[in-house]
Amino acid sequence: MAERAQILPGTLDLLILKAVSLGPLYGYGILLRIEQISHGALLIEQGALYPALFRLVRQGLLKAHWDTSENNRRTKFYELTTAGRKRLRQEEEGWNRLVAAIASALKAQPEEI
Amino acid sequence: MRVFASFRSVISALFHRSLVEKEIEEELRAHIQDRANDLERSGVPRAEAERRARLEFGGYQKFKEEIREAQGTHFLETLIQDLRFGLRMLRKSPGFTAVAVLTLALGIGANTAIFTMTNGLMLHTLPVRDPGQLVEILHHYPGEPEPGFNGFSWDAYQTIRDGNHVFSDLIVGSTMNFGTVRGDKLQPQTVFVGAVGGTFFHALGVRAAAGRLIGPEDVHMGDHAPVAVVSWSFWKSRFDLDPAVIGKKIVVGDDAPLTIIGVTQRGFYGLSEQAKQDIWWPTSLGPSQGWGFPLLGRLKPDVSIEQVRVELGVLFQTVVNAPDADPFVRQMKLRIEPAGNGVSTPVSQMLSTPLTVLMATVGLLLLLACANLAGLLLARGASRQREMAVRVCLGAGRGRLLRQTLTESLLLSLVGSAVGIFLAYFVARALIRVFASGRFIMGAPVHFEALINPDAHVLLFTAAIALLTAFLCGAAPAMSASNTAPASALQQVARIGESRARRLFGKSLVASQVALSLVLVSSAGLFVGYLSHLRNLNLGFERNNLLLVTLDFAQSGYNAAQFSRLWQELAMRLDAIPGVSSATFSSVSPIEGPHAGAFAFAEGHPEKRTQASMNYVAPDYFETYGTPFLAGRDFSARDQAGSPVAIINEAAARDCFGNENPVGRHIILSHITFRKDEKTYEVVGVVRDAKYNDLQQAAPPTIYPDLLQQDFIGSQLAIRTRIDPGGVASAIRQTEPAVLKDVPIVRIMTMNEQIDSSIVPQRLIAMLSAGFGALGALLAAIGLYGLLAHTVAGRTHEIGVRMALGAAGTDVIRIVLRDALWMVCAGLAIGAPLAFWGKRVAASLIPDLPVANPLPIVVAAAIMIAVGLIAAHLPARRAMRVDPMVALRYE
Repeated sequence: MAERAQILPGTLDLLILKAVSLGPLYGYGILLRIEQISHGALLIEQGALYPALFRLVRQGLLKAHWDTSENNRRTKFYELTTAGRKRLRQEEEGWNRLVAAIASALKAQPEEI
Repeated sequence: MRVFASFRSVISALFHRSLVEKEIEEELRAHIQDRANDLERSGVPRAEAERRARLEFGGYQKFKEEIREAQGTHFLETLIQDLRFGLRMLRKSPGFTAVAVLTLALGIGANTAIFTMTNGLMLHTLPVRDPGQLVEILHHYPGEPEPGFNGFSWDAYQTIRDGNHVFSDLIVGSTMNFGTVRGDKLQPQTVFVGAVGGTFFHALGVRAAAGRLIGPEDVHMGDHAPVAVVSWSFWKSRFDLDPAVIGKKIVVGDDAPLTIIGVTQRGFYGLSEQAKQDIWWPTSLGPSQGWGFPLLGRLKPDVSIEQVRVELGVLFQTVVNAPDADPFVRQMKLRIEPAGNGVSTPVSQMLSTPLTVLMATVGLLLLLACANLAGLLLARGASRQREMAVRVCLGAGRGRLLRQTLTESLLLSLVGSAVGIFLAYFVARALIRVFASGRFIMGAPVHFEALINPDAHVLLFTAAIALLTAFLCGAAPAMSASNTAPASALQQVARIGESRARRLFGKSLVASQVALSLVLVSSAGLFVGYLSHLRNLNLGFERNNLLLVTLDFAQSGYNAAQFSRLWQELAMRLDAIPGVSSATFSSVSPIEGPHAGAFAFAEGHPEKRTQASMNYVAPDYFETYGTPFLAGRDFSARDQAGSPVAIINEAAARDCFGNENPVGRHIILSHITFRKDEKTYEVVGVVRDAKYNDLQQAAPPTIYPDLLQQDFIGSQLAIRTRIDPGGVASAIRQTEPAVLKDVPIVRIMTMNEQIDSSIVPQRLIAMLSAGFGALGALLAAIGLYGLLAHTVAGRTHEIGVRMALGAAGTDVIRIVLRDALWMVCAGLAIGAPLAFWGKRVAASLIPDLPVANPLPIVVAAAIMIAVGLIAAHLPARRAMRVDPMVALRYE
C-alpha cells in the first residue's frame, strides 16, 4: 500500500460533504469516492464514516433516502442539502486559508525574520 | 419464573428495537458486504475477504453506539437500555436487591411518613385571600408551654385595634371549641364551632355560597344576633345543599337556638385544617367576654412581622400595666406568629415539637441508609470489576459506565421509594392513632386526614429524596466503576484487586454508619430515659389501681344540695363493690390539664400572695388518691353545714404561712376567673404536694376547698381499687345510673391511661427514636458485616499464606476483629461530638430533657462496639476456617 496520511480530526465531515457534493452516494460509495478523489492518499477508518453521516444528517447538512442501487439492493443514499452546500463552501474557504497560512509558515526562511 | 418471563416479554414489546435500529444494521452490513465483494474481486478468497472487510471496518458495536449518540434519540434509548440491564442485574442477585430495597424503603418510608404529617400540619395554606399576610396574636404566661393561647380582653382588643399602624384589618378570629349540634330532624353531631367578629368573613375574603355571612350588624355590646353561618360541607352532608337551610334553627350545646343565615363558600373550613369548623356565630362585644377575643391581623403591604412584634409589644405594655389590671396579667407575654398555614391548635402545639425531633431523626436514618447502601454497592462494584473491564474493552465510554451504575442505584431507590410510600401510609396512620389519644384532643372531631394522606407536595418530596438517595449512594460506586482500567482488571481476575483508596473509602463508609447509629442510639437512649424518668416520678399520689370516671351533669337538673345528699349514697354503694377500697369526687383530677387558679394569701397577710391551683374535692379524696396528710384532718359530713373549709398542700402552706402551722388559720382566695370575688376558708388540713397540670412541672401551691360546700357540682369520680381497675368498671357502670338519674358517664379511664395521654409527644418520640435507633444499629451491623465478609473473601489468599506460614486460627480472628474494632472506634470518635451536639439541639426543643447525663452516649457506644463484634464474628470465623492448601491452589 502506498503511503497514506491519517486524516486530521474534523476533516472527515469536509471530505464527506465534498464527496457527496459530486452526486448522491451511498455509504460505501462515499468511501470509494473519497479514495478516488484523494487518489488513495487518505486513510479513513471505515466504520467512522457512519457516525459522521448520521451527525451530518441530524445537522441538516445531508439528507438521506432509501432507494434501489445499481445491483438492485435497497440502499441508503445521501445527498447535499442547501445548508450542506453552503457549509461546504465555508469549510473549503476555511481549509484553504488554513493550508495557505501553515504552508507559508513552513516556508519561512531565517533571513525573513 | 413465569411471572418474570411474561414481565420480560412486556418490557421487550414496549421497548423493542425500532425500525431505525434495523436500518442502521442493514446499512453497516451492506458496507461490509460491498467491501468484501470488492476484495474478492481483486483476488482475495471469500472467507479472507470477509474477515478483512470486518477488520477494516473497525469496532462494529462502538460505531453503532456512536451512531445512536449522533442520532440524538440516544438519551431515552440508553435509559431504557440501562433500565433493562439494571433490572436484569438486580434480578440476578435477589439477596442484595432485597436488602438494598428494604434499607431504602425504611429510610425513605420513615421520611415520607414524618413529612406527610409535617406537611399536613404546617405547610397547607388556608383557603382565604392572601393567607401570607395573616398573623395570629398569642399570649402566654411564664412557665406555660409556648406558643400559648389566642384570647384577649376587651381592653386589649380595643387598644390594639385603635393604636396599631401595622394591620389593614384586625380580625376577631374564631374561638376554637367543639360542641354538639342539634336541630330539627338533625342527628346530634359533635363539630368544631366558633364565635367570630363582624369583619371576620369580609377581611378573610370569604364569600357566601348561599344567604349572607355574619357582618358588623350582627355583633352588639354584650350580646349578639341569634344567627349562625354553616360551612359548605356541613350544608352538603346535613342538608344535601337544600337552599331552604336559610332560616332553619340549630342548637349548639346548651346555648340558645340560632337561625342559619348563610353558608360559606365551598372549601372554607375556618382557620385550622385539623379543627375544621362547621358553624360560626357572632361574638358579643364588651368586657363581659373576659379574655374571649382571639385576634388575627392582616399585615399592611410592606410591613414585616418584626415591626408588628415591636409595635404590639409597646401597645400591650399599656394594657398589662393599666392601674386596674390584675397583677396576674402583668406576667403575660405577647407572641406574634404567621397564621397563613393555620392558627395554632392543641393538635399543632402537641405535634410540632415531636415532628421536628422526628424529622431530624429520620433524616439521619436516611443518611445512614445511604452510607449503608453505598457500601454495599461499592463492594458489589468491586466484584463486578471484570464485567466493567469487558464493557470498557467493548467500547463503553466513561460517561456511559457512570450512567449505567447510577441508573442501577436510581432503580433501587425508585423501588425502595415505592415500598417506602406504602410503608409511610401505615406508619402515619399508626402515629395518628397515638396522637389522637392525647389529652385536649381526645374526643374532639379532629380532622387527621391531611396528616395521613400524601398530597402532591409529599410525592414531590419523596421523589426528591429518592433522587438524592440514588445519587448519594450511587455516586461513589459509579465513580470507581467508571475508573476501571481494563487491562489490570482483566489480568487480576483471579484475585479481585482493590485500590487502597477504595478500601479506605469503604471503611470510612462503615465508620460513618457507626457514627450515625451512635447518634441515633444515644438520642433514643436519651428520650427513652426521659420517658421512664417521667413515668417513675414521685407524683404525690398513687397512680396504680386508680380508676377515673367522668360524669356529665349538664342534662340532669340536679342542684348542688341534691347532689350532696346523693353523693353519700353513691359513695356507700361504690365502696360496697368488691375490689373497691374507697371512692371520692372532685371538680378535676390530677394531670387532666390546666384548670382554674386563684391568688391565695393568709388572712391578714395579703403581701404573701401566691398563685395557687384549685381543686374542689369531696371527703376521702386524699385517701383515695393516696396523698398523705401532714397535719390536720379530712373533710367530714359535718362540714357541709358549717363555715367554708379547705385543705392546702405543703407548697401553699409554705408560701402563705411560712413556718407557722396553717391548721385552724384562714386563707383568702381571690379568683382569677371572671367572677372577681374573694372567699375565706378555714384551713383544716395540710397534705403532701402532688402534681397538678402535668408531669413535668413541679407541684404548684394547691388549695382543695370542700366540694360539698359549693354551689356547683364536680365531674370527676375517682375509685381506688384493690384489684385491677378494669375489673370494677362494669360494676360502676351499673351502680352509677342506679343512684344518679340522667348523668351519663362520659368516659372511664385509669389514672395510668390519663398520665399516658398527657405525655403522648414524649411517648411517641421515645417509641420512634428507639425503633430508629435499633434500625440504625442493625444497618450499621449489616454494613460492617458486608464489608468484612467482602474483605475476608478478597484476602483468602493472604490468609492462606499466613496460615501456611504458621499463623494460628486465633491470629486470623484477631486480624479481622482488629479491622472491625478500628472502624467502630473511628465511627465512635466521629459520632460522639455529633451525639453531644444532637443532645443540645434536642434540649432546645424539649425543655427539661436530662442532657447532662452522659450515660446514653456511653451505653450507645458500648452497644455499637458489641454490635460491631457480633457483625465481625461470622466473617472472622470464616477466615479462620480458610484451608491454606485450598486458598493457595485457588490462586
